[in-house]
Amino acid sequence: MEQEKELSGQESLALITRMINKARRDYLDTGLSALLWGSVITFCGLAAFVNTYLRWPVLDYVWFLTVAAVAPQVIIAIREAKNRKYRGYEDDLMGGIWISFGIAIFLLSYIVNAYNVSEVASLFLILYGVPTFATGYARRFRAMIIGGVACWVLAVVSHFTPFPYKMLCIAGAAQLAWFIPGLIIRKRYLKAKEKNV
Amino acid sequence: MFKDLNPILHSQLRLAVISILISVKEAEFTYLREKTDATAGNLSVQINKLKEAGYIDVSKSFKDNYPQTVCRITPAGVRAFEEYVRDLQAYLNIKK
Repeated sequence: MEQEKELSGQESLALITRMINKARRDYLDTGLSALLWGSVITFCGLAAFVNTYLRWPVLDYVWFLTVAAVAPQVIIAIREAKNRKYRGYEDDLMGGIWISFGIAIFLLSYIVNAYNVSEVASLFLILYGVPTFATGYARRFRAMIIGGVACWVLAVVSHFTPFPYKMLCIAGAAQLAWFIPGLIIRKRYLKAKEKNV
Repeated sequence: MFKDLNPILHSQLRLAVISILISVKEAEFTYLREKTDATAGNLSVQINKLKEAGYIDVSKSFKDNYPQTVCRITPAGVRAFEEYVRDLQAYLNIKK
């Protein structure tokens, strides 16, 4: 696009369509956040399940890993923001949804521990589904829509399931909602990056 | 009679820039250059024309000690783009 060129009506329309599509297609997350949380929650869920039989005291604290995972998450978010050359209209919206999810999870963790609430797994699974489904819906990303719905289905399943198996529901939800979509996003990101080099 | 197409927007590079900026909240100069395949000099001139017309805002700052230019479309730019597309549709006889 070097010289000023007189455009025909058809060419103008084609150019507008091409550029809008280029900008739309360009939305690419690195997928690292989804992979991080998908891995951490899956690990915690499986460790809690296994610990029903192993009874290792150290594994009683496995869920504290989710607090530790906030540090790499912050680093990922800062690095992604630094490398981003544009901001989409829905970026703030997505940020708001996931920050409010983080705060809700923190408050729910406090409440369930303070008041010894039962059906903890179902409550967390219902909450997991909200930002996952919202993100998938807003981004038109089917894997996350399915992941969000899977969280809600597993919330119901977990309600009728005895304790250790509830942990498997959580691990399964983390895989479907975050890890698998994260892998898909990561693959797309690396492909696009390779193309641009 | 067809309405004349807005001469500011009816140019290949300026139309490309405004089409990208309508799709995103804001974009860096380097991103626009990458997407339009334009040279820095030419892009700079066209961005200036869009800025003078009041269609885009341009802010300059520093990022990691390098100058950074960020462009975003203004409400006047959005209106002009929408009008341009309407005129184009009328010109091409495209029904909505």
